[in-house]
Amino acid sequence: MGVPELEESFLSLDAKLLRFMDQLELLEEKRATLNSLIEQGWFSLSKARYSMGNKQVSALQYASEIEPLVCVHARTLDNGEAEFCIERVTQSKESGKDERSIEDIGPQEEGVRRRNKPKKDIKEKQEDDIARSKKATEVTPVKKNDQNPQQDPLKWFGILVPQSLKQAQSSFKQVIELSAEIAALQIAILNTRQELKNSMKDKHALQKKTSTAQVDKVAD
Amino acid sequence: MAGRGKLIAVIGDEDTCTGFLLGGIGELNKNRKPNFLVVEKDTSITEIEETFKSFLARNDIGIILINQFIAEMIRHAIDAHMQSIPAVLEIPSKEHPYDASKDSILRRAKGMFSADDFR
Repeated sequence: MGVPELEESFLSLDAKLLRFMDQLELLEEKRATLNSLIEQGWFSLSKARYSMGNKQVSALQYASEIEPLVCVHARTLDNGEAEFCIERVTQSKESGKDERSIEDIGPQEEGVRRRNKPKKDIKEKQEDDIARSKKATEVTPVKKNDQNPQQDPLKWFGILVPQSLKQAQSSFKQVIELSAEIAALQIAILNTRQELKNSMKDKHALQKKTSTAQVDKVAD
Repeated sequence: MAGRGKLIAVIGDEDTCTGFLLGGIGELNKNRKPNFLVVEKDTSITEIEETFKSFLARNDIGIILINQFIAEMIRHAIDAHMQSIPAVLEIPSKEHPYDASKDSILRRAKGMFSADDFR
């Protein structure tokens, strides 16, 4: 009775070990790709620094407010493994706010123009003041939205950036995608390792049972 | 918050942080702490460790990227982290290439093999 169970545990152990080795091999491949992409990114950053100037590509250029353009959806599966999925936020969502700010610039400019015109009548001036104050209340809440934090980080380094900086950005975008895959693979490897450990314990326990059963039979 | 997804944090030297921020992972505003730390020559180990622990404590960070030479400075804190999320990923730096033998995850995976396993 114990021998088929033991053989089953051997087969399951072999399957888990092979899965573990496959995962390690895949991790090594992805790691090599990740490392080479990161190195490519640094090389492109160095080229950009060479053409733009040493201080032009540094932490000094970071914006004072930054909104993330990338997020990761992480969830734990039933088997203890985790899944990571990268989502890139598109920047078109801000178009509504931009339209509103463009509309409000028009009346504000008209108010400024009216101030410079010569005074005709006191009544007309009073009407102008009332109209201006109404437009001012419309305009002030929108003025604070001059800076759009959700912009392409390339713009921190200037309007015209060298191609090498764009290449660096592209390399690091690929690194981010690959990071999620490697993170999931690492968790899977640790999970498989734990399963192997547990299966090994079960195998030893089964072996002890079978050996004591065999000794009892021989004694009889 | 649930629909928004989690952030990717980075603890690295200037080039590493600049690269990943170019990739779009950065968050910095007046209300919340940044999700990145630029480690310079004068950055203390205490600061690095506190930042790493603060990233672990936040529930909106899914992955932490850290240069391996910085990870070596706070190895005890990284080894103590047993949860799957946030995942900690060690990456090379310009002056210190990636060494698989130092990686916490791979050391844990390697540690399972002993003489008893081959009986």
